[in-house]
Amino acid sequence: MPYTLPQLRLLILLAFTLLVGLGVREWRAGFPDAAERFERFDREDAVSPLVPDADAAPAGAAPRQAPGRPTPPPPAAPAVPGRVTPPAPATPVPVPAAPPPPAEPLDVNRADATELARLPGVGAGLAQRIVEERERRGRFDSPEALRYVLGMGPKKLAAIRRFITVRD
Amino acid sequence: MIDRLVPAAPLLPPTAAVAAGIAAGSWWAIPPATLLAAGALALLASILLAPRMPRVALTLVLSGIAVLGALRAAPAPLADDHLARRAPPRSVTVEARLAQEPVRWAPDRTRLLLDVLAMHAGPERLPASGRVQITVYGEIAARLGEGQRVIVDARLHPPIGYRNPGGFDYPAHLRRDGILLVGNARADRLVALAPDTPPWPVAVKRWAVSVITARLPETSGALLAGLLMGERSQLPPESDEAFRRAGVYHILAVSGFNVALLAGAIFAGLAMCGVPRRGAAVAAAAALIGFALVVGGQPSVLRATLMGLLLLAALLLDRESQLMNALAAAALALLVWRPGDLWEPGFQLSFAATAGIIYVTPWLAAILTERGWPAWLATAVAVSLGAQAAVTPLMLAHFNQLSLIGVVANLAVVPLAGIATMLGMLALLMELLSSALAALLFETLWLVLVVLRAMVSIAAAIPGAMAHLPAPAPVVVVAWYAALGLAPPAVASTRARVVVEALAVVVAVASIWPWLSPTEGMLRVTFLDVGQGDAALVELPDGPRLLVDGGPGGARRFDVGERVLAPFLWNRPVRRLDAVALSHWDIDHSGGLAAVLRRFHVGEFWESGRPPSGAADTVAALGRSGAPRRALAAGQRLWLGRAMVTVLGPATGPPVAANDQSLVLRLDWRGVSLLLPGDLGAQGEAALLGRGGPLRALVLKVAHHGSRSSSGVPFLRAAQPLIAVVSVGARNPFRHPSPDALARLEAAGAHIYRTDRDGAVMLETDGRVLRVTAWARGTTDTFHLADPENTTAPG
Repeated sequence: MPYTLPQLRLLILLAFTLLVGLGVREWRAGFPDAAERFERFDREDAVSPLVPDADAAPAGAAPRQAPGRPTPPPPAAPAVPGRVTPPAPATPVPVPAAPPPPAEPLDVNRADATELARLPGVGAGLAQRIVEERERRGRFDSPEALRYVLGMGPKKLAAIRRFITVRD
Repeated sequence: MIDRLVPAAPLLPPTAAVAAGIAAGSWWAIPPATLLAAGALALLASILLAPRMPRVALTLVLSGIAVLGALRAAPAPLADDHLARRAPPRSVTVEARLAQEPVRWAPDRTRLLLDVLAMHAGPERLPASGRVQITVYGEIAARLGEGQRVIVDARLHPPIGYRNPGGFDYPAHLRRDGILLVGNARADRLVALAPDTPPWPVAVKRWAVSVITARLPETSGALLAGLLMGERSQLPPESDEAFRRAGVYHILAVSGFNVALLAGAIFAGLAMCGVPRRGAAVAAAAALIGFALVVGGQPSVLRATLMGLLLLAALLLDRESQLMNALAAAALALLVWRPGDLWEPGFQLSFAATAGIIYVTPWLAAILTERGWPAWLATAVAVSLGAQAAVTPLMLAHFNQLSLIGVVANLAVVPLAGIATMLGMLALLMELLSSALAALLFETLWLVLVVLRAMVSIAAAIPGAMAHLPAPAPVVVVAWYAALGLAPPAVASTRARVVVEALAVVVAVASIWPWLSPTEGMLRVTFLDVGQGDAALVELPDGPRLLVDGGPGGARRFDVGERVLAPFLWNRPVRRLDAVALSHWDIDHSGGLAAVLRRFHVGEFWESGRPPSGAADTVAALGRSGAPRRALAAGQRLWLGRAMVTVLGPATGPPVAANDQSLVLRLDWRGVSLLLPGDLGAQGEAALLGRGGPLRALVLKVAHHGSRSSSGVPFLRAAQPLIAVVSVGARNPFRHPSPDALARLEAAGAHIYRTDRDGAVMLETDGRVLRVTAWARGTTDTFHLADPENTTAPG
């Protein structure tokens, strides 16, 4: 035995740390949105990383797979459809693509929760909060006023900005 | 207790004497000559008395040492060429050296600490000295760093701060760092005279920060910079708040925790590789000194490093180490070097927490182990409790915060923080050897940091994780620490136990007292010093409280709501505001309300019903607070306890300027009337007179900070105020209050109070006598309302 026991323990610990690092790197490369959500979970405009479905893809588009799940870092990740790294997978990759362009912009002062939930990145929960905030305020004076809704961050608002409007 | 403690920590009494001397010296200004004479006398007497009366001699020696402390703390006379000695012109060109790295606290605002070298007046270069702190607005073209020489056109003035009861004394804080002047400058008027060549510790710190930012996403990276180097400037405010609520904020400061991990790791690592013990200890000591230089000179860093060095020295000399003595030695060294640090929260918290862990923890751990707790858990809980018990009065005194979850949260968070710190140091080291391996370590580290943040968020989200309480009275603080000091011996002695119990009763009663003492049948109105803006608290004798406007605030500026209003209300103590009224949505009235709505229970929100403009934070906070919104209009009457609130404006009609649509409130109680017109201008005043509401009032909050276009003669003739309060910031860019408006008020016979000169203006009345206190001046004027010329009947 060339090493003492403490030395051996240190080696094992170091190797294990590096292994975990490898796993995390693979996972972050495979599920960049999920990793981003974990990173930003405590920010004001955060989307819960644990409840990916609350803000699922717009109705009509294929639901996104796994990305939001808190998957344990897989040393060798299985080829789930959500994985982006392998080039040209057999099935088309359902990326969070742009939704079908709506016929005309949605009036956030008139739309109901179901209509609002069709906006990209807006789930049933957020749509409900938009409606509640609208009831509390009477109306939204501008599309930017949606920022006052909990969960409506600058990025999300920018993403839906061209699909919404405020009419008098 | 003292007889038991002193043999183990002989430095404790002299250190306490120095601290007491510094404290006494700042309370009573005694001429240095007198002090010197008294100190010499005490020491001489002690030499003579030592053989016969050792106890008396000891007391004399200690008082002599206290005198030395007081002398050390006495302010040194200013140098002849000190900038503060000259009447500084409005704008001055100074040549200076950066005393520390620039702090960028908002996108286009950078704070610089400058050691002045010279003053330029035209072609002349006059030698000058002094330390100034300036804020530079705009993007600075040159890259700035510690030690660099610059020339800048700055406007300098003495610091002012917000002068409210129980408020933070900002000028005193700056004075302790030798800063007598503050100011601002434009980025394009700053020229660097030399390239940025930082000293090596700064270069190392910059390198570490750049590696961390490159390897980790922003929030996690900011957290690691805090853990490793106490660098919290990049941490988003939400995370900052979560760490405070969870009671684990201390891990974001460099302290004994980092020092112990660093020294321990180097020592153990080297010992494991076969380096002899003494060699390893020397290497660890060298690493500690380097670490302290890199992370900078905050009291907690210095304390931890000094203690670490002393313990390593004990190891080298084969002496038994006494933690309490090492702590006392560190305190003594710091106090002699920078006596003003005694008043800094960082110094107090660091030493109190360490003393608590050293003194209280062994006793607590013994009790818990006796009850059958496993040893590791007993120690962990005892450390957490010991530190918490020692810092509780200080946290309340400085921040009004009592973390209730802290003891538990620390059990989970501290070990994780330890892992993250070790990994972070290892990863930074690895970065020098192999960036591929370092990248992997940073990936693992990211996972640890996210878990750590998740735990902190969970702890912070628990309702009641943190309580906000008034600052404890001095008697509570003294009784608390006395009880803590006597608690360990109380196990053995019944007498000590009785004393501890009595002290506990004192603490309990004195802490509850402020909640029970009512307003004594008085109506109290406090116009707070919020700088340029309005905020007034109305407290009625039967309990209800109304806050009218909240001063300026919000993100990316000094948040008056968070830093001035909230501490004032907590100290009052106020937990619930029956109503918050907003005159109009301008940021100098609405900004500070965001924090008030977040932190206090608000019964109703009164507004003029005009749509918000700007003030997004307050609008969002209002939505989240769930306070019912009530749009008021002229003619409405509401009861607030036994006081009647009459709404005088705005009336419905064609839209006019926002200021003229201010909510105008009148409050009547026992013949005392208060008129609060917001930022009403000439047009609004005319409309008010046209409606013919009851305008005659005893106390008038002067509209629009004393602007020229407000407080017109017809309006003042109708109001006839005895007292006029101008809520206005010193040196505001609008040149409020205007001399014209002040002259009109004077002509109307009003006694004028101004928050820019008087600090908070506090009115107190029982309906017969009105007392007006100007907080910053420390003066109180009394008005007898029964005098015929002083009475005003409600209109």
